Amino acid sequence: MTTPVLSVRDLTVSFPSEAGRVDAVRGVSFDLDEGRTLGIVGESGSGKSVTSLAVMGLLDDNARVGGSVMFEGQELLGKTDAAMSKIRGNGIAMIFQDPLTSLTPVFSVGDQIVEALTIHDPKISRRAARDRAVELLRLVGIPRPAERMRSFPHEFSGGMRQRVVIAIAMANNPRLIIADEPTTALDVTIQAQILDLVATAQRETGAAVMMITHDMGVVAHTADDVIVMYAGRPIEQAPVDELFADTRMPYSIGLLGAIPRVDKAEKQPLVPIKGSPPLLVDLPDACPFAARCPIAVDACRTSEPELVAVGGRPDHRAACLRAEEIRAGRIDGGPVYPVPPVPTSTLETVPRELRRPTLEVENLTKSFPLTKGSFRKRKIGEVHAVKGVSFDVREGETMAIVGESGSGKTTTLLQIMDFARQDAGDIRIVGTSVADIKGGRAERDLRRDVQIVFQDPVGSLDPRMTVFDVIAEPLRTVGLAAAEVGPRVDELMDLVGLDPAHSDRFPAAFSGGQRQRIGIARALATNPKLVVLDEPVSALDVSVQAGVINLLDELKVRLGLSYLFVAHDLSVVRHIADRVAVMYLGSFVEHGDVDAVFDDPQHPYTRALLSAIPVPDPVTERGREHIVLTGDLPSPTDTITGCAFVSRCPLYQTLDEPDRARCEQTVPTLTGRTDDHVNACHFR
Amino acid sequence: MTTDSSMPDPTAGPLTAGETPPPGDAGTADRKRLSKWRLYGRRFARNRPAVAGVVIFVLLVAFAVFGSTLAKYDHVELDFLALSDPPSPEHWFGTNNAGNDLYAMVVIGLQRSLLIAVVVATGTTVLSAVIGTAAAYFGGRVERVSLFIIHFLMVAPTFLLLAMMSNDSGGDWRVIALVLILVSWFFQARTIWTLSLSLREREFVHAARYMGVPGLRIVLRHLIPNIGSLLVVNFTLGVVGAVMAETGLSFLGFGVKLPDVSLGSLIGIGASSISSSPWMFFFPAAALTLLTVSMALVADGLRDALDPTSAAGGRA
Amino acid sequence: MVVAVTNLTYLLAWAYLDPRSNYVGRRPPLSETQITNLLEPRNLDDATPLLERWWTWFSGILFRWDWGVSPTGQSVNEQVAYRMWISAELMLGATILLTAIGIALGVYSASRQYRLGDRIAQGTSIITMNIPIVVAGLGLVLLAIAFNNAVGSTVFYVTGASSPDVSGFFPTLVDTAQHIALPTAALILVGYAQYHFLQRSLLLDTIKSDYVRMARAKGLTKQQAIRKHALRTSLIPVTTQVAFSIPGIFTGAVLTESIFAWKGMGQYFIETISKNDINGVVAVAAFGAVMTAVGAILADIAVVALDPRVRVS
Repeated sequence: MTTPVLSVRDLTVSFPSEAGRVDAVRGVSFDLDEGRTLGIVGESGSGKSVTSLAVMGLLDDNARVGGSVMFEGQELLGKTDAAMSKIRGNGIAMIFQDPLTSLTPVFSVGDQIVEALTIHDPKISRRAARDRAVELLRLVGIPRPAERMRSFPHEFSGGMRQRVVIAIAMANNPRLIIADEPTTALDVTIQAQILDLVATAQRETGAAVMMITHDMGVVAHTADDVIVMYAGRPIEQAPVDELFADTRMPYSIGLLGAIPRVDKAEKQPLVPIKGSPPLLVDLPDACPFAARCPIAVDACRTSEPELVAVGGRPDHRAACLRAEEIRAGRIDGGPVYPVPPVPTSTLETVPRELRRPTLEVENLTKSFPLTKGSFRKRKIGEVHAVKGVSFDVREGETMAIVGESGSGKTTTLLQIMDFARQDAGDIRIVGTSVADIKGGRAERDLRRDVQIVFQDPVGSLDPRMTVFDVIAEPLRTVGLAAAEVGPRVDELMDLVGLDPAHSDRFPAAFSGGQRQRIGIARALATNPKLVVLDEPVSALDVSVQAGVINLLDELKVRLGLSYLFVAHDLSVVRHIADRVAVMYLGSFVEHGDVDAVFDDPQHPYTRALLSAIPVPDPVTERGREHIVLTGDLPSPTDTITGCAFVSRCPLYQTLDEPDRARCEQTVPTLTGRTDDHVNACHFR
Repeated sequence: MTTDSSMPDPTAGPLTAGETPPPGDAGTADRKRLSKWRLYGRRFARNRPAVAGVVIFVLLVAFAVFGSTLAKYDHVELDFLALSDPPSPEHWFGTNNAGNDLYAMVVIGLQRSLLIAVVVATGTTVLSAVIGTAAAYFGGRVERVSLFIIHFLMVAPTFLLLAMMSNDSGGDWRVIALVLILVSWFFQARTIWTLSLSLREREFVHAARYMGVPGLRIVLRHLIPNIGSLLVVNFTLGVVGAVMAETGLSFLGFGVKLPDVSLGSLIGIGASSISSSPWMFFFPAAALTLLTVSMALVADGLRDALDPTSAAGGRA
Repeated sequence: MVVAVTNLTYLLAWAYLDPRSNYVGRRPPLSETQITNLLEPRNLDDATPLLERWWTWFSGILFRWDWGVSPTGQSVNEQVAYRMWISAELMLGATILLTAIGIALGVYSASRQYRLGDRIAQGTSIITMNIPIVVAGLGLVLLAIAFNNAVGSTVFYVTGASSPDVSGFFPTLVDTAQHIALPTAALILVGYAQYHFLQRSLLLDTIKSDYVRMARAKGLTKQQAIRKHALRTSLIPVTTQVAFSIPGIFTGAVLTESIFAWKGMGQYFIETISKNDINGVVAVAAFGAVMTAVGAILADIAVVALDPRVRVS
């Protein structure tokens, strides 16, 4: 047996804070061999990123680090910054989460790659360094690499910048690559490209990879071994197949149960984990998960369980007293987590055509003027953010619009919320056309029927108002008598599962999931018919996300609401939506019933999108065919005469000359075998 | 240092039931606010220079208000037996060449300078807050016109206009204060505008708009409270700026004129005989410097205390 | 903008200044006609319609670069021509030095955040920043007099921009230095601190940024990463601030010139206002506006040089 590339033993990290010492990492141990990939998963605050920074020696000066980190036989902890800088970027390379901010804006990408080479090899000639940098850019798939050397980071898209970061990481053939959430900030089709690229980098350099992520799908796709972290400790550690097939620790089980699946149609509710992770200050000697665990026993609260081998396998270890009783996520013949009941609605029995439409959108178009010059702005053209979008949402149904960033989905939604008048189209809310609104009074009346829930649970609540005032604001705006406001706020708090007694607190006192519930309560205050949801769960951790999704499902049934749901996460859409539209560059490319679209995707873009999502199941995931799209979204300022997807379309590549000409010249219309499921491709 | 349990901590876990009485009880909201002010107070108190600033400032105000009751002479009264006398038991701060008691003059000068400063700081803060937030929220023509005026005033030699106008007024402190407001609101208005631009895009403002809350109410209920801490700091710094501008003017002889006196005009008089009777410069200069420095320390302390992300707040 | 400001100042100056009043109380008293006869050829007679006065003045500048004359008949052009350089010398020297000192201190302070050096530097700066320039200037005068007395010769001159009877290159240089040292020191003392604080907080923000961490992950030491990656980006907003602070420096120069009896633009400013010299006042305003505009242009050039993001668009 060879010595592992990286060997971590009992790593601890703590920070001082106003509330006391924060124990961010509390005893992490693992070995990582050459060519292997270790996935570290956990939710925010679990200590996974701090672990990686501790290995790199990049923590703030006030962090206290203990234990041992051996890299190729040398102890890294305690090395000076100067000594560590010989290893960083040379033996160990790192890929950070946000490519938009990880390149220095004032230096060209070429200079930044060359710097990575010259800093470790001062003798390298300028020319040799330059040639190597060009080669690296070519390797990571940057077109015309020699030209792009002189470009500055702001001239690159997010995906391209992450490629540059990977090129820098590969520069000195590292033995270990640490990737800290490398795809979290990217769109799903770009994520697929980047994950492929990390795999390429690993192949090229033979390096070991530490993949840090919150996404079980990414783990299933990339990892050989997995560590699940919770409250600063590994709570389960196993080879990837073993972990997914025979999960032993209730938290891991909950994490897997809380994820909606893009590849499954069944509409059973998600299994949320109740509560939220503990503060890492003055932790008692008990299982940190006990308070949230459905099968906790008294012994769990008296001492913290060790990470021990389970099931007679030395490579599968779990930190749970009852791990031996749990087999494949079940205990005593039943599931660890009780499955919540499925809410059913009487509306579901009514055929769609007979239900009243709550929102009708006809030929919605929005363009922004393109201006030039900073002193006097001249209009030099128009950007069409949304082009001729039509759909309707009926009573009791959820319509979802999915698309990547820049697809125009959020603009569509804001146009509806702005009641924007259309030149050659219309927006009708519960039968009232926005063109007929005269005066503020009529507008306010219509606003009662349509409300919005935003993405960011922090930004959507005024930090200077109490929760009571936040929820009461719409009530006061519609002129509800002061005496009725109080009881109604209590009722709403109760409806979204919050304790009405807490309504005199400020939003800062609530967790992310709770704040999102407050936002939902505010949206429901005026008894709207339609609720517009702008990525309502994408800022939440998965265990919390499941609870909010279930709440939305339940409210829809109880109150007979319609939702217009905008998201980039197809798994969530599949779970929650009845109908779905896929948007690309301002237009719908496919539109239909959710199961029809997901099970029988017709447009090449929809197919690519669906195949790009990693499924949290290593067996399925590795057996799936992945369509990896090349390139980026075209710039919205480009003039496109035909199909907008031509530049990235895999189908187009297989067509012959006359058919290609048709794609390039004619804008496809939404047509389909049935009226209910349509797509915008000439050949599908 | 001990930890404050009422500190709002973004990482704090969920609340447990029954910690607070149910809403509807009118006292709860007030009580919460009180504890928030207590928190600000505690953070401020940790900043020793800021506390020193408050102490000095309070002493100066007390001196300005009650100082004249201790004075043996009126500030216009002339003592012909003591011309250009150094400080003595009779004239604590000495006298000038006409026999005015400098102690009495410093008291009056400080009063005048403080009064102008507070009026100007209030005026500029209100004006800049209203214009800055309204320009950002309403956009369009309101924004273009406000920005044009702001940029124009940035290029214009405001100190010159100021000198011209206040000289014309013949030294009336009310005119000086008014003109000072007119030429000093725009820097703050620009800062507030930039800040409000990002506030305008915050989702809670969108949320309020989509609820149908009228524009003016959004500005008053959402925008201004959220720049509250900035306004408090601006006010304090406004006092410093106004004192400096006023003393500069009066020093040159364009501001407050005799028989009325301000710290600036006293320094101006002292400057001419600085080598022969330095006390005439020293006492008003000391009062002036103590005033500006103490206010600046207070502003610094307030900035740290009111800013939830400030390093001083997190310093254990 | 500069043209608009100048014209507006001209109109405002007429509203607030009255050249006629210069002659009130003269002995022997002058009659109204006599005053008019004196003022009329100088284009300072308020009996002439304002529009006509304005056009005579404006066309003079436009076609002959003639900024008019004072009520006593002195040419504004002549006055400004030599005063301008005196003020420019003071303002430019002080601006460059105080910016450099402020930035250097900011970098020092940021790299030893919360340590003793940082605390002392910050404490000193908050005090100096808030000393009124008048107090700082006169305080320096007192110190310099004491120093001169102690060493027994005049090392620092406390009045004037130069001595009248000095010739030769080196004597002139030494003489200028002896005169300029104190007013420059006064301007620096009250002005450097704003850049100290600005640079410190900007650099601290940048040091925490992702790309500095990335530079360290590449293998740069912390100091190398700060020098190469953090410093340059943090300088960008500072340059913009320099342009905005020029009006403040101008005001400061007015006061320092008055304290140290320099015959520069600042002193001209006081003189023209008290003598109701409308044409002179306008020239001062134009000078101030031009300085601000030049500062803004220089700052823009500096930003373009430092920041490639601006260059492209």
